[in-house]
Amino acid sequence: MSQPSALSTNGLSRRKFMAGTVSAAATAPLLASTARAEAPIATQPKLRQPVVTSLRINKQAYELSLDTRTSLLDALRDHIGLTGTKKGCDHGQCGACTVLVDGKRVLSCLSFAVMNDGKEVTTIEGLASADGRLHPMQQAFIDHDAFQCGYCTPGQIMSAIGCVNEGHAESENDIREYMSGNICRCAAYPNIVAAVLQARGETRGA
Amino acid sequence: MDVAAPRPKENQGEPLPRVDARLKVTGQAHYPADLPTANLAHGALATSSIARGKVAKLRLDDARAVPGLLDIVTYGDMDKVDKPKFGNSSATSIGPLHDRTIFHDGQIIALAVAETFEAAEEAARLIRAEYEEDKPTASFDSPGTKTVAAAGKSPMFKEDVKAGDFDAAFAAAAVKIDQRYSTPTQHHNPIELFSTTAYWQGDQLVVHEPSQNVTGWKVELARQLKMDPANVRIVSPFIGGAFGSKGPMTPRTAIVAVAAKRLGRPVRCVTSRMQAFGTQTYRAETRHRIRIGARKDGRITAFAHEGWEVTSRPDLYVVGGTSATGRMYGYGSVLTHVSLVQADRNTPGYMRSPPETPYVYALENAMDEMAVALGMDPVEFRRINEPKTEPIGKKPFSSRSLIQCYDQAAAAFGWAKRDPKVGAMRDGDWLVGMGCATAIYPTAVAPCAARVRLTVDGDVRLQCGSHEIGTGIRTVAGQMASERLGVAIDKISVEMGDSSLPPAPVSGGSISTASVCSAVLKACDAIRTKLYAAATAEGGPLAGSHNEEFDLADGKIVAKSGASAKVEDVLKAMQVGAIEEYAEFAPKGATPEALKKLYAGTPEFHGGDQDEDSVKYAFGAEFVEVRINRYTREIRVPRIVGAFAAGRIMNTRTARSQLMGGMIWGIGQALHEATEVDRRYARYVNRDLQDYLVPVNADIKDLQVILVPEVDHAVNPAGVKGLGELGNVGTAAAVASAVYHATGKRIRDLPIRVEQLLV
Amino acid sequence: MRPFIYEQPSDISAAVALASNFTTRDDQPTRANAQFIAGGTNLADYMKLGVAEPNRLLDLNRLEEQKLRQIRVTGDGIRFGALVRMGEAADHREVKKRYPVIAGSLRLAASGQIRNVASLAGNVLQRTRCEYFRETSWACNKRVPGSGCAAMDGFNRQHAVLGGSNACIATYHGDFAQALIALDAVIHAQGSDGARQIPFAKLHRQPGDTPHIETDLAADEIITAIEVPALPWARRSLYLKIRDRESYAFALASAAVALDLDGETVRDARIALGGLATVPWRAGAAEEVLQGKKLDEASAGAAADAAFAEAQPHQHNAFKIELGKRTLVRALLETRDMKV
Repeated sequence: MSQPSALSTNGLSRRKFMAGTVSAAATAPLLASTARAEAPIATQPKLRQPVVTSLRINKQAYELSLDTRTSLLDALRDHIGLTGTKKGCDHGQCGACTVLVDGKRVLSCLSFAVMNDGKEVTTIEGLASADGRLHPMQQAFIDHDAFQCGYCTPGQIMSAIGCVNEGHAESENDIREYMSGNICRCAAYPNIVAAVLQARGETRGA
Repeated sequence: MDVAAPRPKENQGEPLPRVDARLKVTGQAHYPADLPTANLAHGALATSSIARGKVAKLRLDDARAVPGLLDIVTYGDMDKVDKPKFGNSSATSIGPLHDRTIFHDGQIIALAVAETFEAAEEAARLIRAEYEEDKPTASFDSPGTKTVAAAGKSPMFKEDVKAGDFDAAFAAAAVKIDQRYSTPTQHHNPIELFSTTAYWQGDQLVVHEPSQNVTGWKVELARQLKMDPANVRIVSPFIGGAFGSKGPMTPRTAIVAVAAKRLGRPVRCVTSRMQAFGTQTYRAETRHRIRIGARKDGRITAFAHEGWEVTSRPDLYVVGGTSATGRMYGYGSVLTHVSLVQADRNTPGYMRSPPETPYVYALENAMDEMAVALGMDPVEFRRINEPKTEPIGKKPFSSRSLIQCYDQAAAAFGWAKRDPKVGAMRDGDWLVGMGCATAIYPTAVAPCAARVRLTVDGDVRLQCGSHEIGTGIRTVAGQMASERLGVAIDKISVEMGDSSLPPAPVSGGSISTASVCSAVLKACDAIRTKLYAAATAEGGPLAGSHNEEFDLADGKIVAKSGASAKVEDVLKAMQVGAIEEYAEFAPKGATPEALKKLYAGTPEFHGGDQDEDSVKYAFGAEFVEVRINRYTREIRVPRIVGAFAAGRIMNTRTARSQLMGGMIWGIGQALHEATEVDRRYARYVNRDLQDYLVPVNADIKDLQVILVPEVDHAVNPAGVKGLGELGNVGTAAAVASAVYHATGKRIRDLPIRVEQLLV
Repeated sequence: MRPFIYEQPSDISAAVALASNFTTRDDQPTRANAQFIAGGTNLADYMKLGVAEPNRLLDLNRLEEQKLRQIRVTGDGIRFGALVRMGEAADHREVKKRYPVIAGSLRLAASGQIRNVASLAGNVLQRTRCEYFRETSWACNKRVPGSGCAAMDGFNRQHAVLGGSNACIATYHGDFAQALIALDAVIHAQGSDGARQIPFAKLHRQPGDTPHIETDLAADEIITAIEVPALPWARRSLYLKIRDRESYAFALASAAVALDLDGETVRDARIALGGLATVPWRAGAAEEVLQGKKLDEASAGAAADAAFAEAQPHQHNAFKIELGKRTLVRALLETRDMKV
């Protein structure tokens, strides 16, 4: 689990986070709809005014007060303390920041967090089941040594799950092509392909 | 059995999964910028947009007006701190904020610190510099370079190796070539961004930063900050790829430490991908002239290798791979010379197989040309020139399995099916080419310390200030302890990546496994000795079985006689809860100062070409198949086979992965990687992963690694040769060889791209 | 990045009204204070780089008009809602069947993650990836009018050989647009002056003396749909993309080709070139050369020569003329040999 002590960027987001964790499910939808109702034209938003953003991350509701510039990636890392999602380039060129938004793989560095208001986000921390059992894709990455330094790995695994669910893991060549948005500088590519092949059946069902 | 976990052959260890694998697949492996830090302030760098001149004026007003800005560290603010000292622990001697001189593009001119990342970044962009600009010198052939000989000028480079009378032998040679080769600037681009997080606890400084050298950095950072090294701690539990880039510390670290001190709160600065090109090190561009002369039967009689390398104005970094190329084959005579070409560039540094990647590329491409000139099969040409002793000092190789590597790789590749005629192999619209080359990397080892504790519960705690950069060092160190103490791997915890742990050398030069495992071995053997002494002492469970061989397995001491005693009972009999041993390993031939230097962060390297008795190298052979479209000429590598012999393999899984990664790096070197320099301004142009291309998944198809068994007791007590760097030596030459075979075009300048094959 | 106000208009007219409020008629969409964002994969990147500096972002993702998200196939052709994501269009069965060149151009662009987010309208409006444009410390006429062009005499390997000017040689890097221009697609746009249709070939502007003017759109104008007319013989079409590595890289050269064949004779041809020009590039001259000819290596070569008759090389990109020709030849022959 992430550690609340990591939350330190500003008092506001920390407070929101605490609120979100304490009474997660009950308050979140309400707050989310309130925030949405207020946002459009009626009010006069100001520059540098933080925006309240509701996100469901790994099945838990969070309400964050964010700089509009904050990327989904930085919101996860700096505001919620979920540092499993990695920053490798911050410009959509490496895939290390891949998460699932509403079930689809996306680059969290190229997405402003406020644009994800009300969405369901899954990160690497949300894959294993509560009893600690790994997602089949995680286990396959271990079995096939599909990483070395491990830095791109969360992004690779999230991307692999997205890739399978999109129906783009039908052949080895498919996997190679559709996993090419995730750069592995240690170059574990053949092992990544083997891992996706192993886990694709179980992932479809997961 | 799974391809990723090859069945161990002779002298090869089990393919255990990585001990930190679960952390890495669950997002729980904390890289330095992930470590929770309370009350954090964020830093962003401002860097120069010129390569040579002075910062006349810095306009900070707009930056200071950004809400949330806390501080700007710039000229004048580092005056009480010493400048960096160029060396293994420091990438450069340039103290970017110590004076207003600009030595290179992208030099740090300020650090903006703010409450949020967004505010820091906004402020850093608003810092405007006015420059007194001088015309910069970009690289080779630019006006204003200064060329000096490496030998005698740089402490990094010992000598230009030579043997016999090259000039006479070359003049007399029946067949000869005289060619020039080049390699471009390359940046490591590990996927983890470079970052520094610094905070102070009283007069103690803690730095979280990805590092391959926590002990060296501790000492160098303390020197810069005029502190006692005991008060500096570098924490780097996981490193997101290094490849040499995190070996030497860069000036940013001290700047962030100063910012944290001024603010009295933790500061984190994550360098952008673009800024890393100018603020970190890189592989220098190199040029080579190679002359080879041979008899008609293929025996080489004369070999000359001259190298030129770009470096910065202030620092004489040397790539210098002639020590290895000069010893590669049984040349009759050898002449080498390395020159440094100084330009207005940041100081280059170590990058995966620093000397060998460019120098062996040139040698092996030339060897292939020579084989063509002789009308010989390139494998046969190497076989003929296999030496009994190395040609420079006439020393034997401690072990050399190059021919076994060639034979096994050739068989797996199907080399015999290759039609040697240029352009003869086709598959539809694709020209097919096959080529090969030799890989070589010196086997070095350095002093190292480790602490191992065995508890009465059978748990083992292993501590060593080495670094998990993805090599699997935690796993293999644990495996060594598991083997020596008879304890299952899941009972062993391995702590690394912290300068408060027993010191280890820099994790570079492929020395880690040998050095760390030798220290762990020593600590474990000290525990064994104590256990055995206690067990066999009078009244002990194995009393009377003195001087007998024994082993530890499954928590028991087992004597040769078959008698056994539980380790737990022995410890109880000793009335201790644990045995802890702190071992300091020093390699054979170490100086009396060797251990002191380990603690000072300047460890001695032994092995390679340094030892009296023999030279020590690991070898490999790589075969590649290229396909080139007959119309559009793009080049793909659908197949690559490498066979490598590197002494004892601790873990076939991690070893294979490292070699595989190296081979793919080699493909990148051959076809993709180049940092382009705008020659007018001496500035990098393609400073990100959009334009600095490295291989992606789709570039790699059929890849095979063969681990050739080899036993070498001379290299170090663990019998281990490093292999993290071996895999990408030679690959680019093998690709060049295959491209020639497919097209008849000899490409000598890397990377090999479509434009070179269109004409 | 400069701070910005974030707004979520609820429908197209609200979005246009908001944009009209905060922009003027003279504003270029890429330089206006208020800018639209959909997938954001291009705009967020350029905002981070300081190349785009809107102080107000109008998020189009919450627009209520469902047709913006739909792909409609009719006898008249195919209509892509502007917010359809690249990945959806690439995987669409009818698109793959009827217009392989469209599906191919989308599949070979970007990465799986980017295609899941990037909208089709945003994709065609993507801005150049010229390195000198991306880094704000270089002179760039497109980014800062009148500041000069550092690429002209700099490292210009990836730059355009077609459609450049003395002010700018930045390449248009998109792939999808090449298919659209080849197929005579039409852009549907809506602004404060109402709705209008723009032939795709008129959407992008060649740099000329004003490289900062990139498209024909006004700052308050939204693309609502992309319409591709029916072209039954486009089943014989493909997109060929040549790049330094196998995937996830911009084209060094690409060709979008559709052929109407009578046996081996060309009744009609559609050809566009990518990675080579400053804008999506229809190679009309090459099409003409092929009319009524038997398609073989020689006629394909003649078409390629015609396509590059006006090409202008620079120091590092001269190879792109030869590469572009060969790419077109290969694409034509591969299209000819398609089993349809």
